[in-house]
Amino acid sequence: MDNKILHSVTAIFHTPDDIINAAKAVVKEGYKKFDVHTPYPVHGMDQAMKLKRSPLGYFAFVLGVLGATLGLLLMYWTMTIDYPLNIGGKPTFPLPAFIPVTFEITVLLASVATVVAMIVIFFKFPNNSHPLHDTEYMKRVSSDKYGVTIEAADPNFDLEKVKAFLAKLGGTNVEPIYFDNDEINAKRTLLEPKFLTGLAVISVLVIAITYFTLNKLMFLEPFNWMMNQQKITAMEVTTFFDDGFSMRPPIEGTVARGFKPYPYKDSVDLASRFLVNPMEFSTENLENGKRKYNTFCSPCHDYHGNGVARLNGQFPNPPSLHTDKVREWTDGHLYHIITVGQNTMPSYDKQLTQDEKWQVILYVRALQRALNAQEGDLQ
Amino acid sequence: MSNDNIVLYERKPLPAKLPLIGWSLLLIGVALTVLAFSIDNVRASYNLIIVLMMVFSVGFGSLFLIALEHIVGADWSVPFRRLTEIIAAVLFATPLIALPLFLNLNEVFSWLNPVVMDSDKYIKNKSPYLNESFFVIRNIVVFLFMFLFYFLLVGRSLKQDKTGKADTKKWSTKISAIFLPIFAILITVVAMDWLMSLEPKWFSTIFGVYYFAGSVLAALAVLTFIAITLAENGYLSKYLTEDHYYNFGALMFAFTNFWAYIAFSQFMLIWYANIPDETMWYMQRGGEGWMTVSLGLIFIRFLFPYLALVTRPSKSNPFRLKIIAVWVFIAHYYDLYWVIMPEYTKKTELHAPVYSWFEFTVPILVLGVLIVVFSLVAGKKNLMPIGDPKFRKGMEFHL
Amino acid sequence: MATDITHEVSVIEGKPTLKEIDATIIKPMDEMPNIKFFIAIGFTTTLLLIGVFSLGMAFYRGVGLWGVNNPVGWGFAIINFVFWVGIGHAGTLISAILFLFRQKWRTGIARFAEGMTIFAVMTAGLFPLIHVGRPWLDGYLMPHPNQHNLWVNFTSPLLWDVFAVSTYFTVSFVFWYMGLVPDFATMRDRLKNSTVVSKVKKTIYSVLSLGWRFSNRHWSHYEMMYLVLAGFATPLVLSVHTIVSFDFAVSIVPGWHTTIFPPYFVAGAVFSGFAMVQNALIIIRKVFNMEHIVTLDTLEKMNKVIIVTGMMVGYAYGMEFFIAWYSGHEVESFAFLNRAFGPYTWAYWIMVSCNVIFPQFFWIKKLRRNIPFMFVIAILVNVGMWFERFVITVTSLSRDYLPSSWAYYVPTIWDIGLLIGSFGFFFTLLLLFTRTMPVISIAEVKSVVAGSQPTRHKLGHHEEDEHNG
Repeated sequence: MDNKILHSVTAIFHTPDDIINAAKAVVKEGYKKFDVHTPYPVHGMDQAMKLKRSPLGYFAFVLGVLGATLGLLLMYWTMTIDYPLNIGGKPTFPLPAFIPVTFEITVLLASVATVVAMIVIFFKFPNNSHPLHDTEYMKRVSSDKYGVTIEAADPNFDLEKVKAFLAKLGGTNVEPIYFDNDEINAKRTLLEPKFLTGLAVISVLVIAITYFTLNKLMFLEPFNWMMNQQKITAMEVTTFFDDGFSMRPPIEGTVARGFKPYPYKDSVDLASRFLVNPMEFSTENLENGKRKYNTFCSPCHDYHGNGVARLNGQFPNPPSLHTDKVREWTDGHLYHIITVGQNTMPSYDKQLTQDEKWQVILYVRALQRALNAQEGDLQ
Repeated sequence: MSNDNIVLYERKPLPAKLPLIGWSLLLIGVALTVLAFSIDNVRASYNLIIVLMMVFSVGFGSLFLIALEHIVGADWSVPFRRLTEIIAAVLFATPLIALPLFLNLNEVFSWLNPVVMDSDKYIKNKSPYLNESFFVIRNIVVFLFMFLFYFLLVGRSLKQDKTGKADTKKWSTKISAIFLPIFAILITVVAMDWLMSLEPKWFSTIFGVYYFAGSVLAALAVLTFIAITLAENGYLSKYLTEDHYYNFGALMFAFTNFWAYIAFSQFMLIWYANIPDETMWYMQRGGEGWMTVSLGLIFIRFLFPYLALVTRPSKSNPFRLKIIAVWVFIAHYYDLYWVIMPEYTKKTELHAPVYSWFEFTVPILVLGVLIVVFSLVAGKKNLMPIGDPKFRKGMEFHL
Repeated sequence: MATDITHEVSVIEGKPTLKEIDATIIKPMDEMPNIKFFIAIGFTTTLLLIGVFSLGMAFYRGVGLWGVNNPVGWGFAIINFVFWVGIGHAGTLISAILFLFRQKWRTGIARFAEGMTIFAVMTAGLFPLIHVGRPWLDGYLMPHPNQHNLWVNFTSPLLWDVFAVSTYFTVSFVFWYMGLVPDFATMRDRLKNSTVVSKVKKTIYSVLSLGWRFSNRHWSHYEMMYLVLAGFATPLVLSVHTIVSFDFAVSIVPGWHTTIFPPYFVAGAVFSGFAMVQNALIIIRKVFNMEHIVTLDTLEKMNKVIIVTGMMVGYAYGMEFFIAWYSGHEVESFAFLNRAFGPYTWAYWIMVSCNVIFPQFFWIKKLRRNIPFMFVIAILVNVGMWFERFVITVTSLSRDYLPSSWAYYVPTIWDIGLLIGSFGFFFTLLLLFTRTMPVISIAEVKSVVAGSQPTRHKLGHHEEDEHNG
C-alpha cells in the first residue's frame, strides 16, 4: 500500500430519504469536497447539496445567438455579396427565405456545443481512470444504492472522524478508497508516439481511400456506368439518319428569327442605290458599332481605318478607309461589301447581324469624319 | 393524516370597488361607442369588431384551457380552474357586442355590397357562404354552441363545490373530448367570418389556427394576471407557490412561439409564392405607414415576450409574470388592430394607420366588460374549486 | 368500486426493485439471441437486399428505371422521404415535448422512440441522395468553397431540407446518446472481468459511457442539458416537417400551395410516427417480456395521441377542401375535386379512411385497450399516411395547369423495391439496436418506479421545514 493514496471515504445508503438527509447533514457539517452518487437523479438533491443552478442554459443561449449570426452571415456572403443571382424575382437578400436555415444552424450549434461544453468543461470527460471506477462502491451506486463520498482533499478531512460521522448517519459499507498515484499520473499526452503513429496511419489510410475513391474508383466498372451513356455528339457520323449526319438541317424554307434575305448579292449598284442606313447617330449605336468594328474589322483595317494594322504583312494591306473614294461610297455600298466581301476581304454576313452591320457603318462614317472634320463639328 | 385538516382556501369577498370600477369603465366605453357610432359608424363598427374579437378570444380561449386541463389530466391548473371558468363567462357578453355589428353589417363587409359582388367573379363565387342570412345564422349557431358547452363544462364544476363528487371529473373529460373538435370548427368559423371575410377576396387555410394561437395567449394572459393579483392580495390560497405560476409562464412562452410559427408560416408561403390574390392582404399591411405597424408586430407579439420569458426565473416570478401578461394582452389587441384596421383605412383611401379616441374606446370597453363580468360572475362563488378531488393534489404541485 | 381519480396510475406496473429493472432491460444484451430473432432479422435483411438490388439497378441503368416522368417528376423518392421523416417525429415528440410537459408515461418508450427517430431519419436521408440521380455530386448539397465558385441556393426549400434533416439527425443523435451514457455506465459496472468477451464488452461500454460516475454534481448539469436539448428539439421537430411541407407549399402548384401545410404536415408526421412506435412496441414488449414497463396504460395514452393528431389531419383535409372552393380559383378547386374523384380516387379514399375514419374507433375505451385491434389500426394509419404523401405528390403533378401534359403516374417494380428496401433498412437497424443497447432508459425508469423518490412533505409542514433547513 506504499504508493496508494487515500482518495475518499464512501458510505452506502439504502433509501432516497436517507440519502437526502445524509447530504443535508454532510453540508451542515461543513464539508465542501463531497459528492453524492445515485443511479438516477433524485429530486431535491441539488437543494440538499446546496448546488448552484447549472449555467448550461446561458451557454446554450450565447451559442444560439452565435449560430444565428454565423448562419446569416454565411448566407449573406454567398447569396448577396459573392454571387448574387436573381432567383424568382426575390431580392438578393431575401430575409424570410433565410430564416429556416438560420434557425437550423442556431439549433445545431447551440445544442451540440452545449453538450460538448458539458462533457469537456464541466465533467472533464472522457475520464475512465477516476479512483472511484471499478470499486465495489461504484458497482452498487450504478445499480440500486445511493452513496456519499467525502474526499480526502477536504480541509476538514480526518479519516476516523469521517468514518464515524458517516456510520452515525446510517451509512453502511463505510470504506476508504485508495488510488495508485503512478497510475493516475501516467497521463496520456497528445505527443505519445503510439498515438502519433496511430494518427499517422489513419491519416494515410483516409487520404489513400479518398484518393482512390475520387480518382480511380469512379472510373472503374461499374461506377462509371452512368458516365458512359449512349448518345451522339454534334459532329459525329451516324448510321441512324440516311445522310450520315448526326445534326439535323433545318426544314426547307426555314427562316431564322430577325433574318431578312439580302436581295442584292450580285449587284453593288442596286445595293448602293436602294439601301439606306436605318440606324441613327446615337451613342448607343456608335458604341456597339465600335465594339464590332474593333472585333472584326480592326485586325486588317486598324482601329482608325488607315489600313496598317496588326496583321500587316500577312495579307495584302487593305486600302485606307479615309480615301475620297470610300468616303463617297454610299452606306448601301459599304453594306454590300461587308455582306458579300470584296477582293481578299471575305463576307462578314455570318459574324454580324443586319443591325450590327449598319452600326459598324455608322462607326466607319464617324472615323472618316474624325480625319476630315469640318468647322461646324466643333459645335 | 393530520395535514388534511389544513384549510387550503377560505373565501374572501372581492372588494366592493371592483364592480364600481368595472361599471364605470363599461359605461364610459358604451357612451363613447354610441358617440362613435353617431359620428362615423363605419369606423366605430371596425373598432367594435376588435372588441368583439378580443372578448371572444378571452372567453373561447378560457373554455379551451378548461377542456385542455380535463383532457390531459393536468394537476397544476386545478386550483386555477374556477378562475378560468369565471373568465370564460365573458362569452355571454359577445352577443351584446355583436348586436350593433349585426345592424351595421353593410358598413363593414364589402361582400354585402352588390356592386363589389358583381365586379369580381371570385367574390361572387363565395356568395353561397358569404351572404347576410347565412352569416347571421351561423354566428347565432356559434353563440349557442358556446353557451351549451359553457354550461356543460362549467356547470357541474360549480356544483362540485358542495357535493365533492368525483365522477364529475370523468364526465368533464368526456365533454372536453367532444368539445375540442367542435371548438376547432367554431373558432375557424369565427376567424373566417369576422376577420378573413373583411377582405372577401383573400383566403388562407391557416387563418383559423392563427386566430386560435392568439386567443389562447389572450386567455392565458388574462388568467395569469387575475390569478397572480388575487393570490398576492390574499383572495386565493396562501399555499400557491412559484411552481404553480411557472406553468403560466411556460404556457405563454410556448404559445408565443406557436403564434410566431403560425404567423411566419402564413407570411412565408404567401410571400414566396407571390400570387397577387394572396399577397394583396400583406401588401395592404406593407405600405404607407402600415409597414411600421407590421414590423412592430414582430417585436411586440413575438420578440419581446420571447426574450422576457426565455429564462427560468421570469417564468415563475409573479411580478414579472404580471407585467408580461399585461404585455401579451396588449399585444393581442395590437395583433387584432393590425388584422382589422387596414381594411378600414383601405376603405377611407387613407391607407395609413389611424389612432384616436375612436380606437381608444376599444381597451376601455374590453376592460369594462372583463371586470364587470368577472365581478358579477365571481359574486358569491368560491374562487377555487374546493370540491374537486384533485384540488389538494394540484395545491401540492411541485416542479 | 369507484376508482380514486386522484391516484396517479403508476407508470411502471408492479413494484420491481432497481436491480430487477437492470436485469429486465439488460437481458437481451446478456444472452444469445433466440431463433425468433434470427428469423426476424433474416426477414428484414431480405427486404434490405431487395432494396440494395433495386438501388444497384438504379445506379446501373439510371433513374429512368423509375416511374417518374413528365409531368410527375416527384415520385416514390420524395414520397418515401416525407414518409420516413414523419415516422421519426414521434420519437422527438415523446422524448422532448412530453419531457417538457412532464409526462411520466414517456419514460418506458422514450429511448426506443428516439432510436426509431434516428433510424427513420437515416432511411429518409437516403432518398434525396438517390433522387439527385448523380449521387457522387451529393457533396455540393453542403455549401463549401469550390473551384466552380458554386454556392448552394439558400432560397430553395430543398436546400433547407438538407439543413433541417442533417440538424435533426445530429441533434436527435446527441439527445439519444446522452440518454444512453448513464445506462452504458450501469452496464459497464455489471460486468465481471472474467472472460475475454466480458473484457471486450467492458472496454466498449467504458468508452461509450465516457467514464460516467453517477455523481450528483454531474446529474445536476446533465438534467439541465436535457432540459436545454428538449427545449431545442421541440421547435426543431416542428421546423423539420414544416420545411418538408415548404418543399410543396412554396410552389404555385394547385393543391400544394396552401398555408395550412406546415402545421398539417407536423400533425401528420406525429400521427404516423406514433402509429409506427405503437406497432414496434407491441412486438418488442411481447418478445422481451417488458409488459410491466411498457404498460397498457402507456399504449392507451399513445392511442389518444393518435386520435388527436388524426383529427388535426382531418381538420386540415376539410380546411383545404373548403378554402379551395372558397378561393374561387378554378385550378385550385379542380385540384381537390381531382384528388377525390379523379383517376387517383382509390388513393385518396384509402388516405381518408385510414387517417380520419379508422382512428375514430379509439373513442371507445375497450378498443383503445385492445392490443390486436390497436396494432391493426396503427398499421392502417401508416398505410394511410404513406398514401397521404402519395396523394399530395402525385395527384397535383399528374394533372396541373396544362391538360395536354396530363399523365397517369405508375410506379415501376424498382420503385416498389426501394420502398420495400427502406423498410428492410429501418427494421434491420431497429433489430440490431434491440440487441446491442438498452431499448428502455434504465436511469429514467428507475427514477419513476414507486418509492424511488424522496417522500414529499405534505402541505402545511412544508414551509416550516424550509425555514428550519
